Order: sequence, then structure tokens, then C-alpha cells
Amino acid sequence: MSSLQRSSVHDEAWLLLPWLANGRLSSEQQVWVEEHVQSCAKCTEELAVQERLCEAFTAPDRVTYAPGPSFRKLLDKLDSPSSEDVERTEPRVRARAGTSRIRQTLWRPPGFAWAASFILMVGMTAIIATAYRWSQPAYVTHSDPVAAAHPGVLHISFDRGVTVGEAGEVLRVNGAQMVDGPDAIGVVGITPAKSTESLRDLAARMRADPRVRWVEPVDSTNDKQQVKNRGY
Amino acid sequence: MRDTRQGDREPAYRSGASAAREAELITRIAAGDRKAFEELYNLYHRRLARFLTRLTRHFDVAEEIINDTFLIVWRKARDFRGDSQPSTWILGIAYRRARNAFRSATRITAGENLEGLLPPLTSNEPMHAEELRDWLLQALVQLPAEQRLAVELCYELGYSCEEIATIMNCPVNTVKTRLFHARAKLQKLLPALGGTAPPDGKVRSSDGGAR
Repeated sequence: MSSLQRSSVHDEAWLLLPWLANGRLSSEQQVWVEEHVQSCAKCTEELAVQERLCEAFTAPDRVTYAPGPSFRKLLDKLDSPSSEDVERTEPRVRARAGTSRIRQTLWRPPGFAWAASFILMVGMTAIIATAYRWSQPAYVTHSDPVAAAHPGVLHISFDRGVTVGEAGEVLRVNGAQMVDGPDAIGVVGITPAKSTESLRDLAARMRADPRVRWVEPVDSTNDKQQVKNRGY
Repeated sequence: MRDTRQGDREPAYRSGASAAREAELITRIAAGDRKAFEELYNLYHRRLARFLTRLTRHFDVAEEIINDTFLIVWRKARDFRGDSQPSTWILGIAYRRARNAFRSATRITAGENLEGLLPPLTSNEPMHAEELRDWLLQALVQLPAEQRLAVELCYELGYSCEEIATIMNCPVNTVKTRLFHARAKLQKLLPALGGTAPPDGKVRSSDGGAR
């Protein structure tokens, strides 16, 4: 055995001497450490020190510790409501700690957290904008193609002072019948009461009535002309 | 030599029968059996009281740590899977409670030294066991908490290096290093430990050199 190997064995044996003294080395370790100790004066001396330490620590105590009073204290603690509270709150505290750890991990830059936050932000903005648009009334004019869903219908608006009864009278006198509305701003759709009558004649009569504020044929072919006629 | 040492030193409470009995008690504790809890408490109280009183130098502190330890044993008994010996599991809990107690109560100030704490040595005669024990109790206080715990677990409670590593939740080599430094310091503090004090009062290391 070279001097280097001897030195290494000595150092390792030196570290293990406390467990040789307390008898807790594995069988294999015990064999080679004892072998070394027998041939090493320093380790023999140190082993004697370690054995003295073990003896001193395991010597019978002058004090006797009675477990009874301590156990009663423990039972009191166990039965106290505060102990139950602690027991109940512990999992919650742990759960909170766990959530906090996850949150910290997610927000630790750089990582997916920032990208996820950005996507989330864009998505939220889009959702809010869409929701706002849906919550607003659709902006349409009476000349819009959408409004011309019923071709052959006149849209009219009565003067503000006209009552419901008067409005009915206007329609009856002019030979019209209401087929649509009134909508949110009071516009109603009308058609001639007799199917043989033309829409143009009805529009002329309605325009002539002072209680009618404006008349607008929905027929797309007349849109531009009617807008001109309205004068606004 | 080997058989005698092993037989003499193996603590009865870590024998196979004892471990099986303790594992059975823990199973019953998990089911809420208070009789089993009391039996396990009584089994451990003396050794923990002695171990912790030495460490903390106050029985009331030691008692508090023991009861905190067993409160955890009561609550966590169903989590015990038998991966380690019951005594290693319980000592592991006690160790963590003791370490926390050390952190919260710094009774020994940094500037305090042994000269102010120990009575002067009057001779270099080898000490009697009782005298040596008194000195050891005083000397232990001078060690850092981790080294002190390693010393107690090895010399008093007779745990193997691997068991101490499990209890202290650290590598085996860390345990060896802690004990190496603790031994060196104890020899410095207790020159009569080896029979006679070195003339210069310095500590011997494994190569016999003074440190």
C-alpha cells in the first residue's frame, strides 16, 4: 500500500471512529476500520477518546424525567380548540402557499407567463370591444339596404303631436294599413289597404297629409330620389 | 472486539422487535388510539428529554419541543409509510423542532467563550465519568447547533452515520464533517478528554498535527 493510500485510509478511518465507538458501523466498514486502528497509534488513541465520550454521554442520568405531567400537558394541547383550529388552518395555509408558489413560477420572467399575459390581454380587449358593440343599437338608416327587407313598403313618421288615435285615422283616411313597426323612433311601415293601388299614389297622399312628417319608400330603386325629396 | 462492541452499543430501542412494536403503535395512533399514543410517548420521553435538555439546557424548552414533536406525530401518523425506522422518523421531527427552537432562542451569545463558562481545570488528571459529563454539557453549548445535534445523535442516542443523515436531512459526508469539527472543538475545550492535555493546548487532527 502506497503512503498516499495509507493516508487516505487513515483519514477515512479517522472520520468513522465515532461510529466504531458507538458500534454502528456496517460490518464491512467495521472490519477495515478496526484493521487500520490496530496498526495506527493515533487512531487507537482517538478511539479511546471516542469510547470515553460514548461512556460519558450514555452514563445514567442523575435526573429522572417523568413523562406523566408532560403527557397531560400534551393532551390538554391536543384537546384545546386552538389546536383544532391550527390543524384545520394548516392545510389552507399550505394550499395558499402552494398557489402562491405556482403564481410565482408563472410570473417568473422570462417565460411563457409574459406571452400568455399578452395573449390574454389582447383576447380580453377583443371580447370587451365586441361586447360593447353588441350592447349598442345597430346604426342603420331607413335607406340602408338592410331596412329594405320588405320591398313595397312605405316607411313613414308622424308628427310628434299626433296621438295613436289620430295616427290610426290618418292611415284609414289615406287607405293605408300598418304592416311594420313602430320602431324605437316611431317609424312605421305601411302598404296600401287595397292591393290594386300603387305605392306611389299612397306615398303622394301621405306626403300631402300635414300630420305626416316624412314618407320614404323602401324600394331600393327610389332610395336616392326619396332622400332628395325629403330635403334633409 | 467487533461483536462485543456491536452488542454492547446497539440501543435496545432500535432492535427489530422494538421497531416493529413502534410501527404498530404508529398505525394505531393513525386510527386515533390515545393509549398507543401514550405508550409511544412514554417510550421516547426519557431519551428525548435527556437529549433535548442537554441541547437546550432548559427542561421546559425540551418539554415544549417533545410535545410539539408528538403533536406532529399524532397528526401525521397516517403519513408514516415505514420507509425509515420509527425512531429515525420521530427523531427527524424532534431535530427540526429543536433546530427551529435554536433559531428563535439564541441563548448563547457569539462573544461568549468557554473560559467564562467553565470552572478552571486544576490538573491534567483524567476525569471521572461524572465530571467529564458535566464538562461535556458545558462544552456542548459552545458548539454550533448542527454539530451539537450530530454529537448527541451519535454518542448519546447511538445512531449510525446514515441514520443521522436521514434525521438531519443532509448528505452522509456532511454528518462526518460536522462530527469531525465537533470532535476537534471538544478536544480543544476538554484537553483532559484524551487523558492528558497537550502542552500547547492545541487540537490534534487526523494526521496528528496541531490546529
